[in-house]
Amino acid sequence: MFSTKVSKAMLSAVLGTVLLVTGCGGGNSATTENGKSTTTAPASGKKVLNIGLKADPPSMDPNTSTSLYDRHVYASLYDKLFDIDSEGKIVPMLAESYEVTPDGKTYTLKLKQGVKFHDGTEFDAEAVKFNFARNMNDEKSRRKGELKFVDSVAVVDKQTVKIQMKEPFAPFLSVLTDRSGIMVSPKAVKEHGDQYLNHPVGTGPYVFVEQVKGDHVTLKKNENYWNGQVKIDEVNYKVFTNGTAKVQNLRSGMLDIIDDTPVKEIPAIKGDANLQLVAESGMGYQGLYLNNSRPPFDNKYLRQAVDRAIDRDALVKVLFNGYAAPARTAFTKGSLAYNEALNTPKPPDAAEIKDLLAKGGQPNGFNFKLYISTSPENEQLGAVLQNMLKQQNINVTLEKLEYGQLIETGDKGEFEAMQLGWSGRQDPDQNFHDFVVTDTSNNDGRISIPKLDELVIKARGELDEAKRKALYGEAATLLQEEAGYAYMYHQYVLLGMNKKVTGFTYVPDGLIRTANLDKQ
Amino acid sequence: MMFIVRRLVLTIPILLLVSIMTFSLIHMIPGDPARVILGEEATPEAYAALRTELGLDQPIVVQYFSWLGKVVTGDLGISITDRVPVADLIMQRLPATVELTIGTFLVAILIAFPAGILAAVRRGTWIDYTSTFTALGGMSIPSFWLAMMMIIFFAVENQWLPSSGYVPFSENPTQNLMAMILPCLATGLRESAVLMRMLRSSLLDVVSMDFIRTAKAKGLNEARTILGHALRNAMVPVVTTSGLMIAGLLGGLVITESIFSIPGFGRLIVESVFKRDYVTVQGAILVSAVLVVLVNLIVDILYAVIDPRIKAGKGAGE
Repeated sequence: MFSTKVSKAMLSAVLGTVLLVTGCGGGNSATTENGKSTTTAPASGKKVLNIGLKADPPSMDPNTSTSLYDRHVYASLYDKLFDIDSEGKIVPMLAESYEVTPDGKTYTLKLKQGVKFHDGTEFDAEAVKFNFARNMNDEKSRRKGELKFVDSVAVVDKQTVKIQMKEPFAPFLSVLTDRSGIMVSPKAVKEHGDQYLNHPVGTGPYVFVEQVKGDHVTLKKNENYWNGQVKIDEVNYKVFTNGTAKVQNLRSGMLDIIDDTPVKEIPAIKGDANLQLVAESGMGYQGLYLNNSRPPFDNKYLRQAVDRAIDRDALVKVLFNGYAAPARTAFTKGSLAYNEALNTPKPPDAAEIKDLLAKGGQPNGFNFKLYISTSPENEQLGAVLQNMLKQQNINVTLEKLEYGQLIETGDKGEFEAMQLGWSGRQDPDQNFHDFVVTDTSNNDGRISIPKLDELVIKARGELDEAKRKALYGEAATLLQEEAGYAYMYHQYVLLGMNKKVTGFTYVPDGLIRTANLDKQ
Repeated sequence: MMFIVRRLVLTIPILLLVSIMTFSLIHMIPGDPARVILGEEATPEAYAALRTELGLDQPIVVQYFSWLGKVVTGDLGISITDRVPVADLIMQRLPATVELTIGTFLVAILIAFPAGILAAVRRGTWIDYTSTFTALGGMSIPSFWLAMMMIIFFAVENQWLPSSGYVPFSENPTQNLMAMILPCLATGLRESAVLMRMLRSSLLDVVSMDFIRTAKAKGLNEARTILGHALRNAMVPVVTTSGLMIAGLLGGLVITESIFSIPGFGRLIVESVFKRDYVTVQGAILVSAVLVVLVNLIVDILYAVIDPRIKAGKGAGE
């Protein structure tokens, strides 16, 4: 017989292993004053802010950036010529003031004085000229499209730049509140060439320390920040691809802010006394591209039938628990072009839809294939749409495509319908022109309505805000009548935050601005 | 020694085959890397220029051989999205995964051995049933769920352990070990169940053999019989399972790495696939294949040590 002593010894070994591995953690870790662990072992009194991002920021160089996650880090690392305030209005940032000629073709910018890049280089008119040239001419630049109406940039004196436009372009200042307006150090670019993305230098409140790809970006306080005293010593952006894990890390104190919150995790944040949820409408929209150039959606009535059959209020309730706004236009609250009456959805009317199907030559309904990208949220969205349309005798075949393939399919126009939206920009033109004007870069739905083109092109050259708003109102009405694209909802920005973080102001572009943050 | 050399030579065609398969697979993934890299706002000119730069406009055979030529000299290429050598990226990510693998394996054997031996020796008793039942449970629980529960219990509710916060061992050993406890436990518990069941059944086979009965008849006490004689004979399938386990862990810890935010090798592969950074994917998969081949080699050598009857070269094939 195997002795009882040996049995007991072995049982203790099993238990001991588990306890040894789990039980030796009590309070040995680096802790902050609240007794919670931190991701970095801070030196005494060092204030560290940890921000959780959904994905790895791929490029620290705004010239080649195409990712939202980059933009979160840029908000700490870089300044721009102009910024957006909490109302969504454009305000000067590195520019002190500006003037624009009545014909809208010449902008004169006065620059802030005494600003220095992190490497000590002075920020002046030459630096602005250098950045424009780089964004407009660099072979790999992703900013060319945004700046294609700029004809020339001239240095008037050290603090003054004159920008000549090829034609009036109302969204120009708005473009300068994003990546095209970011000022990088000319010296650093010349020094590092295409390695600049690994050695970024800006004028922002924080200085680049390191990036471990796929894991974190670390920044430290800019002691000489031109725009006030920075209170946090170190900011870490940490990548959490798993949304639930990210929320738990916010709860455990490893993270102070998270860039987005899965809807199903909202109760976990709301139920935690130490946390707060910032839920605000973003600037973007989600909807369906209906391919206007091939059957079945080259038929206006069938497009309208699908558009009218989507119950936007129900969709937002079911999928987002109310944390999204129903949409029928590209424009969100706070946008110059926002029109509440136009954006308010009507519930589907079965008789109307039946009539549209009959007019479209499909009185008994029809089938179409809808491409969606592969994420659990999108699959749910697809299923909900399928159900809604089925009630009106419209049968949807869902097909999942990986995101990259979805974009490519959209480019080529090889689809009947496709679910893809837009993250949104400050100026209405940036959320509209390239998506609805004939043959523009993001017009995957092959929308081609001459009158619409005319209105949108006129609006981008119109500097008078009231007139511009009226033009967009007309354009949005026309697009709705034609059902060129089926807008469904405006996504919310859902930031989770520890209540210890103070000084946060929400700005409608949804980016986490850290310059004024403090941590108790 | 000859055996090891022979085995090493054998790995060359295997790795070549892996490289061809990897290369073909990557290029079969739908979606154009240039399109993905440039995003939705690209001009046609930029798109064409990038395709040329990446060599995507060349025939696939030409692309493959130019890549292979560099690999032979140790150059895995420059990452498309990160603009740093792929070899550097891999070296940055491997340590975390190797550490996680070792930790997981340690947890697994520390639990599996005592539990497996007990279950075999006490066959049919409550100890056996409890161990087997627990093991079945352990195998059935999804590791991501277990990981999440552990985070909630150990890090959120009680704050005994950090919920994330990997730092390299060389930078801060204490913090590194603290951050590794939960991930190693979460994956190790599951793997221990697999090992424990394997060890139990293997031991039961051996215990019923003649030489064990002889040993017992000679008056050898049970503990010595089991630990001294039976266990060594029961180890062959356990070593096989362990080898497969380690090989699988080296590339397959991506879920654990994601949940605990560990910058590991598995995540690097998955992220690179999504970013269409196929230069990194090719390099990483090749390195992964080399690691698997190495693990297999070690397993084969161990066979020979455990059981001299196994003729070298006739061990587990790849």
